[in-house]
Amino acid sequence: MITLKNVTKTYKRGELGEVVALDDVSIEVAKGEFVFVVGPSGSGKSTLMKLLTREQLPDTGEVYVAGKNLNTLRAWKVPHLRRSIGYVFQDFKLLPNKTVYENVAFALQVIGANGTKIERRVPEVLELVGLEDKHDALPHELSGGQQQRVSVARAFVNSPRLMLCDEPTGNLDPNTSVGIMKLLDRINRTGTTVVMSTHDQQIVDTMRRRVIELENGTVIRDQARGVYGYTD
Amino acid sequence: MSRWTYVLSEAFIGLGRNLLMSIAVILSVAVSLTLLGAALLLSREVSLVADDWIGRIEVSIFLCDGQRCPEITPEQQAELESQLEAEPVVQSVAFESKEQAYTRFVELFDNQPDLIATLDEGVLPASFRVKLTDPERFAVIADRFDAFPGVEASVDPREVLDRLLNALNLVRYGAVLIALVQLVAGAVLIANTIRVAAFARREQTSVMKLVGASNWYIRLPFLLEGVLEGLIGGAVATALLRIFYPITKDELLSVVQFVPFIGVEEVWAVGAQITLLGVAIAVVSSLLSLQRSLDV
Repeated sequence: MITLKNVTKTYKRGELGEVVALDDVSIEVAKGEFVFVVGPSGSGKSTLMKLLTREQLPDTGEVYVAGKNLNTLRAWKVPHLRRSIGYVFQDFKLLPNKTVYENVAFALQVIGANGTKIERRVPEVLELVGLEDKHDALPHELSGGQQQRVSVARAFVNSPRLMLCDEPTGNLDPNTSVGIMKLLDRINRTGTTVVMSTHDQQIVDTMRRRVIELENGTVIRDQARGVYGYTD
Repeated sequence: MSRWTYVLSEAFIGLGRNLLMSIAVILSVAVSLTLLGAALLLSREVSLVADDWIGRIEVSIFLCDGQRCPEITPEQQAELESQLEAEPVVQSVAFESKEQAYTRFVELFDNQPDLIATLDEGVLPASFRVKLTDPERFAVIADRFDAFPGVEASVDPREVLDRLLNALNLVRYGAVLIALVQLVAGAVLIANTIRVAAFARREQTSVMKLVGASNWYIRLPFLLEGVLEGLIGGAVATALLRIFYPITKDELLSVVQFVPFIGVEEVWAVGAQITLLGVAIAVVSSLLSLQRSLDV
């Protein structure tokens, strides 16, 4: 599903010179996997996510997502790539003036889905995330956990093959986080690949899934059924 | 279908969100397009009048009456007339006696009695009024008949007409120049409102990008907002031109009589042109503005 080959990405930071965000990183993620990406701030997690959605291109090395080489992908085909990726943000990024239903339907509307598909699919997904009774609520009327469920529903409504979750529990308390993780686990069991960056040690330790640890732009650990930090 | 309702409603929301700014943009576009349209209509009127006058003007060949050269003999006059009529560029020849010349002068300047009073009845010379098949070929007549015995001089009234047309052209170019400067200001204003609109909706836009909305779909509402401003500006300009059309017509006809005036269909034609131009400018400036503020 995802292949990074010797990827290096640097940013120019004015007079400070260059900042190396990713340094010769190679990662392979198979279809249907659940992967945690951990590491301190500035370790390159966000850059990794941005490379996968082609918000940025690597300086050197190759990035493949869903069988597409993103280096050579034409700009006008980028929207099609993103339709096969569901993205969940730490800060939800819901549209404040739209209801729960409209926020989820929006993701289908803007890619030109027809009305019948929207009317069938949106209630289905809202039921999956457990918000079937909140269709008409506005985001500010919901708790943080509920808002993140809406955000997950929006990411999943188009049946993406890959879910990218950028610290989805970063703004939530531990109990609420467990609920979101159960939801992501369910989505993963439908065959969707999930890549999640996180700082949440408890979650990583509980889930016992593959863990990729980044530090200063390099992979220092890639462990199946791993935990958050070193335990030896 | 729902995508079009989305695009339309977003465009109108954009217009409404910043209503004062939108009004300023529309007015600026309307003023510049009105000026430009007026200049275009003026040039149509000028060429209409010029065509009409050039078609009607006659070359005058003044005959000697003994004041500045020896008076023309009846034989010379008959010879001159027959030679004029034999000339291929000549369409028709008419004789105007001294009395007729004076009568015409009095009619022409009947609102300036002082001028008429200074002129004695016998001062104006008799002349042949010659109409040419091609008014441009006046030189042929001048060359051949200026030295003819009994001819005082030939006069091409187009020289006077040219001076008048040059003055009108100057007005026309001035109007076009002001209109163009205004148009640039209008384009910059449109670009600015689109940038403000894109900034106001940046959250929505970033969500759209990440769920895979195509670039055109993201841009279309903003583009349409600019196009609507251009379109309304053009429509307002057309309406202004249509309102001023009869007023200008009455004004002109009260000053100069027997002048042809462009038909109202010319107003609609120019209105369509300037509206199209307004839309085109809106499209270009919106796209340039979005290029910077909405890039993927």
